[in-house]
Amino acid sequence: MTTTVNSVRPLLEGRGVTKRFGGLVAVNSIDFAVYPGEIVGLIGPNGSGKTTLLDCLSRVQSIDEGEVFFKETEITKLKPHKVAHLGMSRTFQVIRVYRKLTVLENMLVSRQWRGESLWSQLSPGHPDTEKRARRLIDFLTLEHLVDSPAGTLSGGQRRLLELGMAMMPDPELVLLDEAASGVNPTLVETIKDRIRALNTEQGKAFLIVEHDMRFISDMCSRVYVLNFGEKLAEGTPAEVIENEAVIEAYFGA
Amino acid sequence: MDQFLQALINGVMLGAFYAAMMLGFSVIWGVMGVINLAHGEFIMLGGYITWVLNKGQILPGRLEVDWLKMEPFYALPLVMAIMFVVGYAVQRVLINRVVGKPHLVSLLVTFGLSIIISNALKLTCSADPRITETRFGGAWNLGNVTIPVTKTVILGLALVIMGSLWGFLNHTRTGKSIRAAAQNKQAARIVGIDINKIYALTFGICIAITAAAGTMISPTQAIDPFKGPPLTLRAFSITALAGLGSLPGALMGGLLLGIVESMIGIYVSGIGTNLAIVAAFVLLVVVLITRPQGLFGGLRPIQEAEQL
Amino acid sequence: MSAPATVDLGSGVARTKIIGLGLLLLALVLVPLGTQVADQTWVTNSRLLQFTQMFMLITLASNWNLTGGFTGYIDFGHAVFFGLGAYATGILMTNQHAVQWPFWAALIVGALVAAVFAVMIGLPTLRLKGPYFSIAMLGTFVAMREIIRVSKPLTGGGVGLTLPPYLNRPLFYYLTLGLAVAVISLMWWIRRSEFGASLIAIREDEVGAEMRGINTTLHKITAFVIAGFLTGIVGGMWAYQNTFIDPDVVFVDSRTIDLVMMTMLGGLGTVAGPVLGAASIYWIRDVVWAAFFDWHLMIQGTLLIGIVLFVPTGLIGVFRRDRSGTSLLRLWGRWFDSRDDARPEPDTSPEDRAVDTTREP
Repeated sequence: MTTTVNSVRPLLEGRGVTKRFGGLVAVNSIDFAVYPGEIVGLIGPNGSGKTTLLDCLSRVQSIDEGEVFFKETEITKLKPHKVAHLGMSRTFQVIRVYRKLTVLENMLVSRQWRGESLWSQLSPGHPDTEKRARRLIDFLTLEHLVDSPAGTLSGGQRRLLELGMAMMPDPELVLLDEAASGVNPTLVETIKDRIRALNTEQGKAFLIVEHDMRFISDMCSRVYVLNFGEKLAEGTPAEVIENEAVIEAYFGA
Repeated sequence: MDQFLQALINGVMLGAFYAAMMLGFSVIWGVMGVINLAHGEFIMLGGYITWVLNKGQILPGRLEVDWLKMEPFYALPLVMAIMFVVGYAVQRVLINRVVGKPHLVSLLVTFGLSIIISNALKLTCSADPRITETRFGGAWNLGNVTIPVTKTVILGLALVIMGSLWGFLNHTRTGKSIRAAAQNKQAARIVGIDINKIYALTFGICIAITAAAGTMISPTQAIDPFKGPPLTLRAFSITALAGLGSLPGALMGGLLLGIVESMIGIYVSGIGTNLAIVAAFVLLVVVLITRPQGLFGGLRPIQEAEQL
Repeated sequence: MSAPATVDLGSGVARTKIIGLGLLLLALVLVPLGTQVADQTWVTNSRLLQFTQMFMLITLASNWNLTGGFTGYIDFGHAVFFGLGAYATGILMTNQHAVQWPFWAALIVGALVAAVFAVMIGLPTLRLKGPYFSIAMLGTFVAMREIIRVSKPLTGGGVGLTLPPYLNRPLFYYLTLGLAVAVISLMWWIRRSEFGASLIAIREDEVGAEMRGINTTLHKITAFVIAGFLTGIVGGMWAYQNTFIDPDVVFVDSRTIDLVMMTMLGGLGTVAGPVLGAASIYWIRDVVWAAFFDWHLMIQGTLLIGIVLFVPTGLIGVFRRDRSGTSLLRLWGRWFDSRDDARPEPDTSPEDRAVDTTREP
């Protein structure tokens, strides 16, 4: 019923998002939108404010000015876990898996939200949740590691696990911070492949921060370029690569 | 008005003492990353050494010699020298094992140390409160305001100690090495600073200053083996107020706490100074929550908590 | 396949384990009968008292472990809940102005007082991290002792309160045994529940947990309140059994540190760790206390240092590598490593670093 309306309205929208650290303006009045079913890239040189913007959008950090909407609900002041409950999840530049929990337990802890009640959490896990977790683990080619503590996984495997944890709540939008950095080329292909599958088969939207331009141009339909906290350019990957301001920012004048 | 002025004067004197008392704690934390929970016990240890020298109690309770009986304030350099050696040794034997380890390890190890010191003091000197006798007694009266001489001497000593530490850290080669080690251990090592030696030296100096606080406190307040923890807690509070390793911050924080405690003691009837520790604690929690970087911004922010 | 989170009972050994625990429990239930046999040669009333104290310590250490071990918030002032429970129970039972309450009612109210206080103090302090939380709780503890001391009309001040004496060692034996069993079972249940997994997730990575939809504040407060409530019960029982309370015996400095030490020796963040640690420390201390009364606190201090430096993963970690456990080194390490120059490799396991501590010159 609402799908027809939603198809034109953005899933995630930032209006004039500004974040300052002391005197430094890390993100300066950025307008931003991700539409349902899209894979959007966010690129820029080091220190351009990519991760900060991501943190602001997902409420890890408070923003100083501007508004953020997710599914037309204002989330500017919402607590991070509430944002997660609305259907947005993310991964992190510095991988955050629970190293002392097994791969399966990591997935289970990142389960779907079933209400605030703690009573519902006093059971040792829902059978459906576990089935879902195992399916995702298979899907991410981690099935041989189900019972290994996450601390024993390689960097690439942890990235995959983190992707799985982000998928567990069945989100509509996933923010990926450096999805492929520090991952060996074979696993990068796996990660790309899995993201594409999730996008086409389940219609998940992704917002990807990445250094690797090839990764971005392979995956994304639209790209935002940041530099010094300002939005430098926006468009298809091909357009952005041709953009002179972007070339200047990356390679210097 | 007189009452207020009196409370203010008492507060300033108490505050200056607090500032000098907590310096060692703050510098050890700042340089080595060790939270020394035995801080108050080192103060008491300094106080007891002063008492031994003051009363000539070579074997406390068993052997008393008359020729020794020293004026506590004159004994200060000797106490500091002894405690420097003690501090140097404790660092080499124990603290060095916890440097660079997570804070809880140092907290628990120094807590164990505090139990050992306080009980050793109890075994050797008994749990009776002790007080030293100074010839700098009496008081000046200005109108209705009293200024005790002993506390004025303490105030002066506190300022001298703070000043010398500041001078030492900023204007001597060793002091600069210590600051370098605090800011970047690896880089300091690369430029040829013997980090272990610097740490042991820092700990020794800090313990000497800490023990000096024990000397200063001994003529005015009775010392007993179990009076350490409230002092440690105050040192922690002031460090949180001041920011790590900030000298002006330490002075401001100490004065703030001293004045608050003194005002509470005078104006809130029936409470007494015992409950002043509650003030220290409330101040601590409020500051930690509202201004994690400390009131005066030290060498580094006190709580680099990830923002939620 | 058993439910995924039941890491504590592997399917193969589960049966032997349950039988063993059942036999142990049966033996413990039978112990007080020994007082009836012969002329109390083996089981004396003072022996029962020792067991009672041990059960209390096991309960306290398990409670502490819920916040300290599972959630990762090292509470240096946990004994404040013990003290509140003891005092609330004592005040109600000795009420000079109105009706004196029966023990049971007073005990429940005492525990509720502790739980309410846990909410009040937890809301601000659980926002602090690492040592700041620990010291803030230590401050709470010291402050509460002074507040109790000055609230003379209610608490008897420094003089203390004398509760109606009631000497029934077997009763207290069974009470504390029952409580200990209940608490251990609860901890075991929590550990394998989603709630427990969420607590461990908070310990491992609080920001990540929040981002992944765990209401960290609610979880932390809940764990804190459960621990506070149960600790309050132990406090109330202790007050009645001891018949006398004053600020210095109830708020004795070493109580919390005993709990930290016991949990650490056993294994932080495991269900069995606090039980094992509390039992061992209790009996070690009993022997030391009897043999070297003057020195026992110094020996305890030395023991604490020894455990921290040489057995950081605890007995559980030494004997069996329980993967859900953690070590203090790791727990606080992670938070502080982020600012230290010497940042350990992310892949260093706690065991490796534990070895490091002992090697460091």
